[in-house]
Amino acid sequence: MLSRVVLVSAFLNHALSLSLVQASRSLHTTSQSLAPVPSLPEKGGKVRHGIFPEEIFQLLYPKTGVTGPYMLGTGLLLYMLSKEIYVINHETIAALSIGTVIVYGVKKFGPDVAAFADKLNQDKVAKAQEVKDLAMTSLSQAIEEEKKEQWRAEGRSLLFDAKKNNVAMLLETNYRERLHMVTHEVKRRLDYQVALQDLNRRMEQEHMVNWVEKSVVGSITPQQEKESIAKCISDLKALAKSTQAMA
Amino acid sequence: MAGRRIALKAIDWVAFAERVPPNQRSMFNALKTRSDAIAAKLASLPESPTTIDWSHYRAAVARAGMVDEFEKKFKALQIPQPVDTQTSAITAQEAESNKSASAYIEGSTARIAQYEQQLDKFKNMIPFDQMTVDDLNDTFPETKLDKVKHPYWPHKPIAEL
Repeated sequence: MLSRVVLVSAFLNHALSLSLVQASRSLHTTSQSLAPVPSLPEKGGKVRHGIFPEEIFQLLYPKTGVTGPYMLGTGLLLYMLSKEIYVINHETIAALSIGTVIVYGVKKFGPDVAAFADKLNQDKVAKAQEVKDLAMTSLSQAIEEEKKEQWRAEGRSLLFDAKKNNVAMLLETNYRERLHMVTHEVKRRLDYQVALQDLNRRMEQEHMVNWVEKSVVGSITPQQEKESIAKCISDLKALAKSTQAMA
Repeated sequence: MAGRRIALKAIDWVAFAERVPPNQRSMFNALKTRSDAIAAKLASLPESPTTIDWSHYRAAVARAGMVDEFEKKFKALQIPQPVDTQTSAITAQEAESNKSASAYIEGSTARIAQYEQQLDKFKNMIPFDQMTVDDLNDTFPETKLDKVKHPYWPHKPIAEL
C-alpha cells in the first residue's frame, strides 16, 4: 500500500516534468471499462492565498460561514505560538525574509515563465498539427491525381481508333491513286495515237504541197517564160496608156 | 471503277487532347499532324477518276479495233485493293494496352484505398492537445520509444534528439 503511494508520488513528480501529461492506465488493476479516460484538467485545484485549498473553505462554510476557516487558522496559529509548539527563533526571521522574496519573485516573474513554458508546448503541438494537415492535403491530392489518371487511361480507345482511321485512309488514298494512274496512262496512250495520226497527216500535207509547188515551178519552160513576160509588158503598156488618158 | 466507301470513325480530337497526360503531349501532336496530313491527302483526291470519252477516240484514232480493244481491256480491268497489313498489329496493340491499363487501374484503386484509409485515420484522430503519450504512440507507431534497445533516458540515440 505504502509502496504504491510512493510509486504514485514518484510517478506524478516525473509526470510534471514532461511536456505532455501522462494519465496512463498502468495503475488500473481491474479490467473493467474501456470508456475513454476523461481528459485532465487544464489548471490545478483552486487555492486561496496560494496554499490553502478551496475545498476546506467550502467544507466549513455551512457550519461556520465565511469567516470560519480564518478563525480556525488564527486559533491554530495562536495555539502553536502560546503553547510553544512552534518556537520563534532566528530561523523564523530567515524563513519570513526568504518567503517574502520567493513570493515576490513568483508574483513578478511567474506569468512570464508560465507563458514561455506554454509556448514551448504550443509550438510542439502546432508542428504536429502542421504535419497532420500537410499529410491530409497531400493524401487527398494524391487520391485526386489517381482518379484523374484512371480517367485518362479510359481514353485509350481513342488512340487506337485514330490509328485504325489512319490506316484506312492510307489504304483508300493508295487505291484511288492507283485508279487515277490507270485511267491517266490509258488516256495518255490514246492521246499519243491521236497525236501521232495528226502529225502524220500534217507531214503528208506539207510534203505534197511542197512537191506540187516544185513540180509546177520546174514545169515552167523558157518559151513559156518569154511569152508570159511579153504578155506582162504589153499589159503594163496598156495600163500606162489608160492611166495617161485619165490623168 | 469508283472508289469504295470506307468506314471512318469520327474522332473527337478535343476530347482526346484533354485525356493526354502532359508528358505524352508531343507524341499526341505528332499523331495529330500526321492524321491531318493523311486526311488532307485523301480529301484532295477525287473519289472516282475522270471517265474516258471512248466515242471521241473511236472517231479520232484511225487504227481499227485499237480503241475497242483498249476499251474492252480497260473495262475488264480490276484494280486490286491494297492489302491491309497493319490493322491486326493495331488490334494486338489495343488488346495489350487494354490489359496493361486494367492492371494499372487495379493498382491505382488499391493505392486509392490505401490513401483513403490513411486519410480516415487522420480524420478520426483525437486532437493533439487531448492526446496522451500512449495515444500518440498508438496513432503514430514511429514515435514509440524503444525502452528495450535503449534502456536509459532519452531512449533514443543522442543524434536523434
